[in-house]
Amino acid sequence: MSNSHLFLKSGFPRAPLQNGVGRYVCQLQRLTLKFCKNNGSSRGMRDFIENHLVDFAKENPGIVVYVKPRRHRAPVLVGEYLNGDREWLSVRNSTQTEISKWIDLLKTQNGSSSSLRLRKMWHTDVPSIQGPWTPFLLRSPDAHNQTYPTSEASQPLDVPQTATEKLIELFKQQQLEADTVLEQKRAE
Amino acid sequence: MSIAKRVQQWATFARTWHIYDCTWQNPFESASLVKTHLMGLHKPIYHPMNDCGDHVVLINTKEIALPGDEWVKRVYFHHTGYPGGASWTLAWQLHEKDPTMVMKKAVYNSMAGNLQRRHTMQRLHLFHDDQVPQDILANVTNQIRTPRTVPQRLDHIDKETLENFPAIMDYPKDYVLR
Repeated sequence: MSNSHLFLKSGFPRAPLQNGVGRYVCQLQRLTLKFCKNNGSSRGMRDFIENHLVDFAKENPGIVVYVKPRRHRAPVLVGEYLNGDREWLSVRNSTQTEISKWIDLLKTQNGSSSSLRLRKMWHTDVPSIQGPWTPFLLRSPDAHNQTYPTSEASQPLDVPQTATEKLIELFKQQQLEADTVLEQKRAE
Repeated sequence: MSIAKRVQQWATFARTWHIYDCTWQNPFESASLVKTHLMGLHKPIYHPMNDCGDHVVLINTKEIALPGDEWVKRVYFHHTGYPGGASWTLAWQLHEKDPTMVMKKAVYNSMAGNLQRRHTMQRLHLFHDDQVPQDILANVTNQIRTPRTVPQRLDHIDKETLENFPAIMDYPKDYVLR
């Protein structure tokens, strides 16, 4: 993640206290619907309250539902969770089906999902077959009894032959040839 | 976490110490190499939010070689914050005052200016010669290879090698050698 998310809480997805293994405890405790009675942006919210809210409250007796009308403000959903999280959600210009989907999301998650950065987007039971990397992996054995700094490592790996070195090589070759010619003459 | 797992964790995130010989090296070319090791970019476990940088010991920073006429053209700017507090220092002047400063600034400027930069710089150890304290040298387990060869100076070659060096031609007898 980038530097702008340094202070965002991070973690892995988990179910609190193995919720749902024996019985299920709904983690959403309070739901507040804020809306305006006149404003057009709250129309979907007003429709939802008129048609579905009473049914929702009857189906979920564990969730306390507050309805808060306020003048000339955008509609908002606020969920409060058992772990103390609070999720604020703007539902401006949303239709009643969208709102019931958002409420369903708030109901089924176990905390505020937007305030948690997932450390990893994947999960595996076998993290690595080779084993984790260490800085000592694949190091040459003679690096162990090496004393640093060494003059050998103070130069690049491949140094091309210089003109001087080439000249010296040619000179040595010439001398060798001269020696062999001399020996041949002596033999004759 | 079991003991084996804990030791595995220590091994993976162990900070290694590298040494780098700055003799006859271009500081700006070397800075990108040193930066890589300081930030841990060379590790497969690297991640910006993962604290996996290594220590780097720079020796012989007095012997660096700036390219071209950079010694007289490169200017380091400083402002004290007071009116008229601006000052411009040439690279050779800065090098005379503190022989580690040009190298240090090269590494510092090669990194992006974020919150980690000053903490990363804490892992850089600069020495103007090859006299490194024993407690620092004892940690070093790797040497970073330099990108350039160190040229050999004529007065550093021993006399025997010089005399036996093959000559392309002999000077004429009346040739005046100065």
